[in-house]
Amino acid sequence: MKIKIEHLTKRFGNFTAVDDFSTTFEDGELIALLGPSGCGKSTMLNMLSGILPVTEGKIYFDDDDVTDVSPDKRGVGLVFQNYALYPHMTVLQNICFPLEIQKMPKEERIAKAKEMAKLVHVDEFLDRKPGQLSGGQQQRVAIARALVKKPRLLLLDEPLSNLDARLRLEMREEIRRIQQETGITTVFVTHDQEEAMSISDHIVLMKLGVKQQYAEPQELYNDPANNFVADFLGNPPINKIFGVAKGGNFELEDGSASFPFELCSKVAEGTKVTLGIRAESAYPVATAEEAAFVGEVSSTYAMGKEELGYIKIGNQEFRAYIASELGYKKGDAINVGFKDRGVFLFVTETGERVR
Amino acid sequence: MALFKKKATNTNAEVDTFKSPNKLNIEPFLYLLPFIIGILIFTIYPIFNVLRYSFIEGLGHPLGKQLAERCTFILTDASAKGCDLTWGLGNFEYVLKDKYFWSALKNTFQYVLCVVPVSTCLAIIFAVLLNQKIKLRGLFQTVFFLPMVTSSIAVGICWKYLFNYNYGFINYLLNTFGIASVDWLGQASMNIWAVIIYGIWDIMPMTIILLLSGLQNIDEMYYTAAKVDGAKTLRIFFRITVPLLAPTIGLVMILNTISCFKVYSSIFPLFNGSAGITGKNLYTAVFYIYNQFFINSKYGRAAAAAVLLFFIIFAFTMFQKWFQNKVSN
Repeated sequence: MKIKIEHLTKRFGNFTAVDDFSTTFEDGELIALLGPSGCGKSTMLNMLSGILPVTEGKIYFDDDDVTDVSPDKRGVGLVFQNYALYPHMTVLQNICFPLEIQKMPKEERIAKAKEMAKLVHVDEFLDRKPGQLSGGQQQRVAIARALVKKPRLLLLDEPLSNLDARLRLEMREEIRRIQQETGITTVFVTHDQEEAMSISDHIVLMKLGVKQQYAEPQELYNDPANNFVADFLGNPPINKIFGVAKGGNFELEDGSASFPFELCSKVAEGTKVTLGIRAESAYPVATAEEAAFVGEVSSTYAMGKEELGYIKIGNQEFRAYIASELGYKKGDAINVGFKDRGVFLFVTETGERVR
Repeated sequence: MALFKKKATNTNAEVDTFKSPNKLNIEPFLYLLPFIIGILIFTIYPIFNVLRYSFIEGLGHPLGKQLAERCTFILTDASAKGCDLTWGLGNFEYVLKDKYFWSALKNTFQYVLCVVPVSTCLAIIFAVLLNQKIKLRGLFQTVFFLPMVTSSIAVGICWKYLFNYNYGFINYLLNTFGIASVDWLGQASMNIWAVIIYGIWDIMPMTIILLLSGLQNIDEMYYTAAKVDGAKTLRIFFRITVPLLAPTIGLVMILNTISCFKVYSSIFPLFNGSAGITGKNLYTAVFYIYNQFFINSKYGRAAAAAVLLFFIIFAFTMFQKWFQNKVSN
């Protein structure tokens, strides 16, 4: 099902949780709502489910306006962060409950629930209570319960945050598998960029209730719309060098270094700019002619075949991967070249990307 | 065990104050001592004393009260020599043959079996309603909890007027629904029902408070989950609220059963201190004990009845716990 969101706004008193949010989620996709805590991503999810009324704007499921439709009539399946499995019911009863509400005959709902349990691999535990299951199994049951009524949209609120690291990897692949097997449009909330990058078709990155960028994961990484997006994605985090654009040159804030940088000519002379460089996009080159600039190695950390080095330019530092066989040591001069990908220029004040 | 400080588990400097790691640490007992002394004097000692009294025949009869006290003092030392008192089961024999004891038990059981289920069901409904986000919630909660902070004797006197045959509010209510007036207090067979109605009202506030705290422990997300799936109020109540509240309901029923077995103070004001309108038709277990002790000065018989009541409550509560465990599994 396609979901169209138009100018969606949610205010709690004076606080705006979601601000003028418009986008379209395509049918059958797995979409991640990503952002730091307090960015409004859970509020967005609750508005999609209908638990929270919207302040302004519209939500369309396909062509139906569901803005004022109650949660149970929207046909959404919701998986809560703490799963909200009814502790007094067995796994089977939990999965059956949505069908019981729809007054489906008993044999039919048990058959459907068993089918769903099989899909999420909990069919061995049907007679257990949720308290007797591990976190990952509870998560699976919660997904089965959300899916059993064949919703048009599956919503997952921080689905992996309560799991330990190993289970997290396993479950995120499971979520991807289940989503692809059922083909149901799925929206999940997460604050973990790696989680979002690894399984989703599209990511919505939000900050303080405002949509920053809606794109495919790789595009988000390779072509960030602004400083925040570039900053939020990537591990190690993107390097930032603060400077001023002067005559097509990038000059460090305190004037301690300066080098030509083409994009600097696209902003007004003297604009404060930030150079964002991903650690893998700066590399040592043989001669000063090929280099973007000449820096100094300030420290190195062995990391197997590569070394993570800190390179100093002027009096600012940034991280880069240096092949260990090159044998750079602390204090050596280093010619630093930029790759085409992963080097961005932003206007410092607005965070806007200079293209 | 907190009382045994083990060196291996304590790495900070404090450990040094507990020189021998596996020796019993006296300090916590010192803190507990005042409380333990109080319990020993006012709870433990009387309990065993009652047990002792129940086996002393002739206690309080035919001797006067003062003499009896002197005799118990002697008994503490050695035996009942010279006081016409003997050890034996005579008190139990008397009590078990006394028809008033059996009518007291019948009344008590009737009271317990009516008050506990009805008050629990009503209290669940009121607790759920009071737990809603409604206007004037604070006011309603205060009104419902008012009986708890009012003296039961004073309240009992108010109820005496409510039950009045000619101008009582309850008969007025019945009349408006076309039901003839009932002589709650004047007709011996209706006396027990008057006490039961009053008892239900009396026990509700505490029950509601306990159930409310139980309700507030139920995570809101269960309701949200059910609502997203389209569950209606009644289904949510029976399939989610009641099962999740079951532990609290069980607790409340056990506490109420115990307190209902001890019914006494609600009868006293309704019938001017006598057991029902005839003075004998509304004995309850505790009323029987009270009369044997204070009115008839038969301490041994009172003690024997108290011991019997203890075992009845004990057995009943155990049965209840067993039953609840069975249901919850």
